[in-house]
Amino acid sequence: METQNTQTPKYWMSLEQWRQDPEFQKLAEKEFQSSPLQSDDGKDGWARREFLKLMGASLALTSFGCVRRTAQKIIPYVNKPADVIHGLSNYYASSFADGFEGLGLLVTTRDGRPIKIEGNPDHPANRGGMSTRGHAMILKLYDPDRYTGPKRNLQNDTRSNREIVGVKWEDLDKAVIEQLKKGSIAILGNSCLSPSTQALTDDFSAAYGAKSYRYDDVSYEPLQEATQKSYGQAGLPRYDFEKAKYVVAINNDFMGTWLNPTLYSRQFALRRRKTADMNKLVVFESLMSLTGSNADERYRIRPSQTLDLVMAILNELLINKKVSRFAGDAAVLRAVSAFAKADVGVNVADVAAELWKNRGQSLVVAGGVHSGIENAAHIHVAVNLLNAVLENDGKTVEPVGAAVVKPASANISDLIASMNKKEVKTLIIHGCNPMYSLPAAAKFREAFNNVEMIIYTGDRNDETARYADYVASDHHSLENWGDMLSLDGTYSIQQPTIQPLYNTRAMQDSLLVWAKASSKASARVKGAEDWYAYLRNNWKDLGRGKASTDDGWTELLRSGVLSGVTAGGGSRTFLTAALNEIKPASRKSGFELAMYETVALGGGDLANVPWLQELPDPITKITWDNYATISPKDAASLKLKEGYHVTLTVGDQKITIPAHIQPGQADGVVGLAVGYGRVGAGKVADGVGQNAFALAQWSNGSRVTSGIETAVAVSGGRTELACTQGHHSMEGRQIVVEETLKDFIKNPGGTVHRHKMFSMWSGHKYKGNKWGMVIDLNTCNGCSACVIACQSENNIPTVGKKYVIEGREMQWLRIDRYYVGDPENPDVVHQPLPCMHCDNAPCETVCPVIATSHSDEGTNDMTYNRCVGTRYCSNNCPYKVRRFNWFQYSEGIPTPHKMAMNPDVTVRFRGVMEKCTFCIHRIRNSKSEAKVQNRTLRPNEVQTACQQSCVTGAITFGDLNNTEWAVTKEFTSPSSYALLEELNTQPAVRYQVKVRNTEELKGAPKHHGEGHHA
Amino acid sequence: MIRRAPLILGSKTYETITKDIVSLVESFPGPSYYMGIAGAQFLLLIFLFAQGMIVWFGMGMMGVNHPVGWGTDIITFVFWIGIGHAGTLISAVLFLFRQKWRTSIARTAEAMTVFAVMTAGLFPILHTGRPWLAYWLLPYPNQRGPLWVNFRSPLVWDVFAVSTYATVSMVFWYIGMVPDLATIRDRAKNKWRKRIYGALSLGWRGTARNWNHYEMVYMLLAGLSTPLVLSVHSIVSFDFAVATLPGWHTTIFPPYFVAGAIFSGFAMVVTLMAIVRELVPVFKDYITIDHMENMNKIIMATGLMVGYAYGSEFFIAWYSGVEYETFIFMNRAFGPYGWSYWIMVTCNVIIPQIFWFKAARRNIPIMFVVSIFVNIGMWFERFVITITSLHRDFLPSSWGMWIPTLYDFGALFGSFGLFFTLFLLYIRLLPAISIAEVKPVLGVGREGDGHGHH
Repeated sequence: METQNTQTPKYWMSLEQWRQDPEFQKLAEKEFQSSPLQSDDGKDGWARREFLKLMGASLALTSFGCVRRTAQKIIPYVNKPADVIHGLSNYYASSFADGFEGLGLLVTTRDGRPIKIEGNPDHPANRGGMSTRGHAMILKLYDPDRYTGPKRNLQNDTRSNREIVGVKWEDLDKAVIEQLKKGSIAILGNSCLSPSTQALTDDFSAAYGAKSYRYDDVSYEPLQEATQKSYGQAGLPRYDFEKAKYVVAINNDFMGTWLNPTLYSRQFALRRRKTADMNKLVVFESLMSLTGSNADERYRIRPSQTLDLVMAILNELLINKKVSRFAGDAAVLRAVSAFAKADVGVNVADVAAELWKNRGQSLVVAGGVHSGIENAAHIHVAVNLLNAVLENDGKTVEPVGAAVVKPASANISDLIASMNKKEVKTLIIHGCNPMYSLPAAAKFREAFNNVEMIIYTGDRNDETARYADYVASDHHSLENWGDMLSLDGTYSIQQPTIQPLYNTRAMQDSLLVWAKASSKASARVKGAEDWYAYLRNNWKDLGRGKASTDDGWTELLRSGVLSGVTAGGGSRTFLTAALNEIKPASRKSGFELAMYETVALGGGDLANVPWLQELPDPITKITWDNYATISPKDAASLKLKEGYHVTLTVGDQKITIPAHIQPGQADGVVGLAVGYGRVGAGKVADGVGQNAFALAQWSNGSRVTSGIETAVAVSGGRTELACTQGHHSMEGRQIVVEETLKDFIKNPGGTVHRHKMFSMWSGHKYKGNKWGMVIDLNTCNGCSACVIACQSENNIPTVGKKYVIEGREMQWLRIDRYYVGDPENPDVVHQPLPCMHCDNAPCETVCPVIATSHSDEGTNDMTYNRCVGTRYCSNNCPYKVRRFNWFQYSEGIPTPHKMAMNPDVTVRFRGVMEKCTFCIHRIRNSKSEAKVQNRTLRPNEVQTACQQSCVTGAITFGDLNNTEWAVTKEFTSPSSYALLEELNTQPAVRYQVKVRNTEELKGAPKHHGEGHHA
Repeated sequence: MIRRAPLILGSKTYETITKDIVSLVESFPGPSYYMGIAGAQFLLLIFLFAQGMIVWFGMGMMGVNHPVGWGTDIITFVFWIGIGHAGTLISAVLFLFRQKWRTSIARTAEAMTVFAVMTAGLFPILHTGRPWLAYWLLPYPNQRGPLWVNFRSPLVWDVFAVSTYATVSMVFWYIGMVPDLATIRDRAKNKWRKRIYGALSLGWRGTARNWNHYEMVYMLLAGLSTPLVLSVHSIVSFDFAVATLPGWHTTIFPPYFVAGAIFSGFAMVVTLMAIVRELVPVFKDYITIDHMENMNKIIMATGLMVGYAYGSEFFIAWYSGVEYETFIFMNRAFGPYGWSYWIMVTCNVIIPQIFWFKAARRNIPIMFVVSIFVNIGMWFERFVITITSLHRDFLPSSWGMWIPTLYDFGALFGSFGLFFTLFLLYIRLLPAISIAEVKPVLGVGREGDGHGHH
């Protein structure tokens, strides 16, 4: 600097510069003539005044907003895993055993974390669809209440847990193995659908001489027992509802909760769709179940009349009509005629005649928690006989599933007996939660005192875990390897989709580690390094050669399903000896308690998943509670109103619980859902509802859940039930259009009242795609899987009971349920309602800031960033499908839950409106994919989340501008109609009329007057 | 010749008029005033707390839900906007019609308008989910595209209507005050009072030229304000009438809302005047019982109009044959919110009928009570329109109920705190009666007793 300055510059701008005038030098040094950072006197640092000015300004700035979020850095992979591309999903085939229901999964993962469960299209059980619970189980993986490692309970005298401490796996193994070496081991496990796990359990038992006992929280023991007795063959039957033209369900919820509801719903819908040869569903039931809500004919019986009813039909056929090959069988006639005088309150002659007419293509099913009466196996024997009489055996009922669930050599009552005899030193419990689901009368808890060590493989501090000495915390099934044999005979693989989140260990690995410590361990156990190695080895046999090579195994993992498995069919001989024990039961007086499973919670194992707690029950539309359901007539005679408390007393057990008046429920019956009233399940489930199992009876070593004599007393107090639907009648408006099958065949959609609409403008023009949807009310059974699919896909928050009561539930897709006809026994209709994406959308015109606008593809888009939250759009929406963020809901999402968020969908902030987007991100993804491949969209390429999850195929979506898409035909078919057509909103969602296979509808819509008007 | 009743009572001279009116500004208030303003401030604090909590935590603090997306905030917004109407009507419309009796109440009625609109204006902003972005409702060049507002949305029309209304009424009010402010300035002995009122009086000298310009501007502003009396509430009614909802989607709404607004506005003027007459006894000479009677007549007339609208709505609901419309009106009267409908009918249609009797029209306690009832009734009218239409619309599945929370009550009652705080400050800080306008009408009704027109 100095040297430069002393020289004359080569280039100069002014004479001062050329002269190197000191004044100029001084000025040239500073670029800006004044700076707040420099003091006037030229000294370094800030002058006091400037400092104060700056401080003032910065204080003012910081206090007036401009608060930035903390910077979050995105760090790229150093070594990128193959196939993982940021922003794109990977899909892995896997399996999920939900009790007895085996579902094939396609798990969507993003950057190594699963974000959504979809159905594996190759799996015959669900064919790409997914159940409510299947969708929701992903949140159990991210459940903040899971154990993060193995635990040890420092038990007190009464074995209720005193203190839980973390323990190292090595220490746990050491203690367990030491204990196991003492012998006298019992393993209590569920009816596991995994063949390899079964094999491993057997190996473990062999290594230690342990004895296996079977217990399921929701048990099908009566059905298994009856199958054994009726056919001399163990296992469970396989039903084919698609082949059945006439279905009779007797206290059986095969669409919602029984055995394989997803598969059955799909089969039923496939037949329902064939209008020329449509099936008919007749339901006899005590409570209003999902199946009952879809019945063409529905009759009400008490749980104790279940057996009587089956026998009444048999009486009609075998004795009155003298038909079928059993009509001459003296043993059968003797058993059946014993029921001749049984009063079922229903004339079954017509049903029996129809059944006989459709023999060979009819199906009678019974059973489930709400027909779990004393000697429930008798019902199944009678039903087996009825199906045999109707020649359904081998046609709609097949013995295929027999091999799947291996029969239990012993059940829990045997275990309790041997525990009491001090024959058990060590008890290993896995796959079930008996301390929750067993009634106190079973005295299971008391038997614990005779056991030295209890080891539980649960994942949290739940009812059973508190009595266990060690909890060998298990993986979630998405973290674990496994396999599955579904009841329909399909083998599939369960592969992990994420590294275990915590220091947990697969139950199978635990068994393997412990088994290896035994000198008597089998070669299979010794040869297996870990559970995965054991599984692969086991699959060398199971996979029929496919799994022997690495390529074959990879291919198996890819498809997830071992295809081409067909187990044998054929009819079996009904062993009439099975009827010997069946005698009419004594009549019950007073109220009968019938427990039932809800579609969402089932046996209660997924109770800590908020999506399921907040899912409106398909029938009652109530969330976050269980309640005593009571028929309208009983409620009137008890002077009971909705939500008022009743006390149910069974023996010395009492439950005080709010009442719900349920139209269509049989008189003299109280319904109570199981799965609620969990203790220690987690922050979500604890304290929600009450444990119905506490009222269960213990009779002859099995649990009785229905037909229990109960005293019902109205007690003071009232609890508001969080019902999402305020009104249950269509008020004569044209909302759901029903047609009888006869009318439908004659003139499809003829009962729809059409409006001739005029418009002052020509409407939008859609040059490219025009997205539309058709929902078939005929096949939709209201199962609500789509609601959870949408919730999972679109990052929809749950709000809790308080806010559901206030009307702030957030689900984008809701299912409206209306009752039609007499409240004593009404018809029920279900109507899913997404955003209608109207062409003339009332929401669009009223938004002051254009936050909701019409796209050139016909979708009605929300711009969250632009929304100021006037809620005018919601007010003006005739369908009320918009949801407002009343609070900052994303703040309430616990940390691991956040990993389940779909990065393709914005997490909404408070104060903005949101609604169904037609899964616009899926449309965009498909379009991008097509563009990359330099092609246009293939027909039916885009699927919305709800459509994808629907097993009945009730939802069709696609491009209305292209006749190759399936939706186009549906949209323009004469049986489709637009909801609230007269408002001229021109919705892009239309409905197909609901067809009822009856002579007469219970409520013909009167709508507005007669005739058509312009 | 029939003598006109005097507009100003007592033996007033120009000097005493000035003294009577300006004394309020020049003296310290008594304890009753302090009690009043303390009460108003307490309510204002409640308002600030309630709205602060709502802005901080979200709209979920209030009772609004799904399907009832608008609640207390919008009801109260329409209520306050309606209140404002009487001020403009009295000061502008009656001015153009040369109604001399308006002079003594015009200033306060205008002040009421300004404060009511200020109060009202807060609600549409605070009822949004993200009030800090409310400026997006203004069409101004911006760097977001630029993104414009949706000119088809009645809420945007509302922004224009209300902001225009607020501006024009404020200017009108202020311009009218200039000569009086100058009077206070001229009388001021205190330095600060002189400076402040001096600045506010915009250099008014009282010259003929000043007066000439003043009269012209005042006349023009009156002309500008007059259409606003009709337009503002018409546009507010469009918020409802343009929507698809049964019970909202009606062509009767604009005239019905305007009549209702004038009705409620006059009721509020009567309420305020009755209070002012008690607080400042000397004003009884200016705001005479004749003034009150005139206003009561208007209340009765507009009350009948409103009653007609209620009946007509029912008739059209039946006559149109639209099932949703028919249902909504039956539901209004006999549904779960039926009580609110009958409060509305009782307060707005039945109670004002007492004004058929002259004695009631001229009785201060009676008219005070009636005006309070009318205010309650008009709040409930907006409640009935907003809530009962929203809570049960087309699809019965989405029917619901609206239950207010404590924050709803805080917002509603708190808004009175804001209004009365402003009003009570106004009473003591600005000339509450127009000195310049009252003086010219001193002679009315006194032609014979020496106070002839000059």
